[in-house]
Amino acid sequence: MDFLAWLQATAFATAVAETIWAYPLLETLHALGMAMLLGSLGLTNLRVLGYKSELPLLGTQQLFPLAWLGFTLNAVSGLALFASDAVYFFSSYTFRIKLVLIALAGINAVLLSHRIFREPAAGGGPGPVAKGLAAASLVFWVGAAVAGRLIAYTP
Amino acid sequence: MDFLVWLESTPIAVAISQSVWMYATFETIHYIGLAMLVGSIMLIDLRLLGFARSLPLPSMLGLLPWVWCGFFINVVTGSLMFIYNATSFGMNKAFWLKMTLMALAGLNALAFTVAVARTGERWLTAAETPAGIKIVATLSLALWLGVMTAGRWMAYV
Repeated sequence: MDFLAWLQATAFATAVAETIWAYPLLETLHALGMAMLLGSLGLTNLRVLGYKSELPLLGTQQLFPLAWLGFTLNAVSGLALFASDAVYFFSSYTFRIKLVLIALAGINAVLLSHRIFREPAAGGGPGPVAKGLAAASLVFWVGAAVAGRLIAYTP
Repeated sequence: MDFLVWLESTPIAVAISQSVWMYATFETIHYIGLAMLVGSIMLIDLRLLGFARSLPLPSMLGLLPWVWCGFFINVVTGSLMFIYNATSFGMNKAFWLKMTLMALAGLNALAFTVAVARTGERWLTAAETPAGIKIVATLSLALWLGVMTAGRWMAYV
């Protein structure tokens, strides 16, 4: 708690909280990063589930730089937004749920990429485990976006 | 102005303002619609610019139903949020900037559709898209980023 109080008292956090344009700018970047992340991972996961099977499965790896860019953008903008009101955000249950969902999505992504891209199945396409992981990934990321938007409305 | 006042007094606007969860729900659905709309438009535009070449362009254009679905969701949720606060949003400069940028994005998308119909055969399966198409794709990315920025700014002006 001392750390959170210190964090939101830093010059940077105060600037984010008090400058008129800083907060909406960070929120816009956070929404852009979300669209990058959900767009690229959404298509990849849907492809694993069998959607648009004419797209080469291994080719979806070329979307990963966009996913990483979105993730980095949101880690940075998210940290800055968090710092501006650290005690409030940390005490929010919805914010905690969001962090748990992102952690689950991260673990899930490692497992899925291992299954799909390091040990590609010999023909036949992704198996039931890979499909289950892809479906879980969609649930975790959409859940994280929903939880994020609801932080402002929930305890 | 009378029209905005009337909108705000309609039963549906009153219901939204008296409910604790309706506005938050519309805003959340608007956010998911944004991810569908901008997420798929971004994939199509970046592919037109030469990103992720191993994904065939005609298949990527097959993502357009996601764009329309996201757009439809956001027109519905956006209209509901607008009427709830019509007199305020109707005077909001960021709101009108957002509408202008969306109209421009629509014209830009129309130009793209016409180009695909007229000359698409020549470049849809080619290694490189024409320079004009790349300009349209860049404009699309810039305009939708502008729409998102203006939309977020509505809450602050």
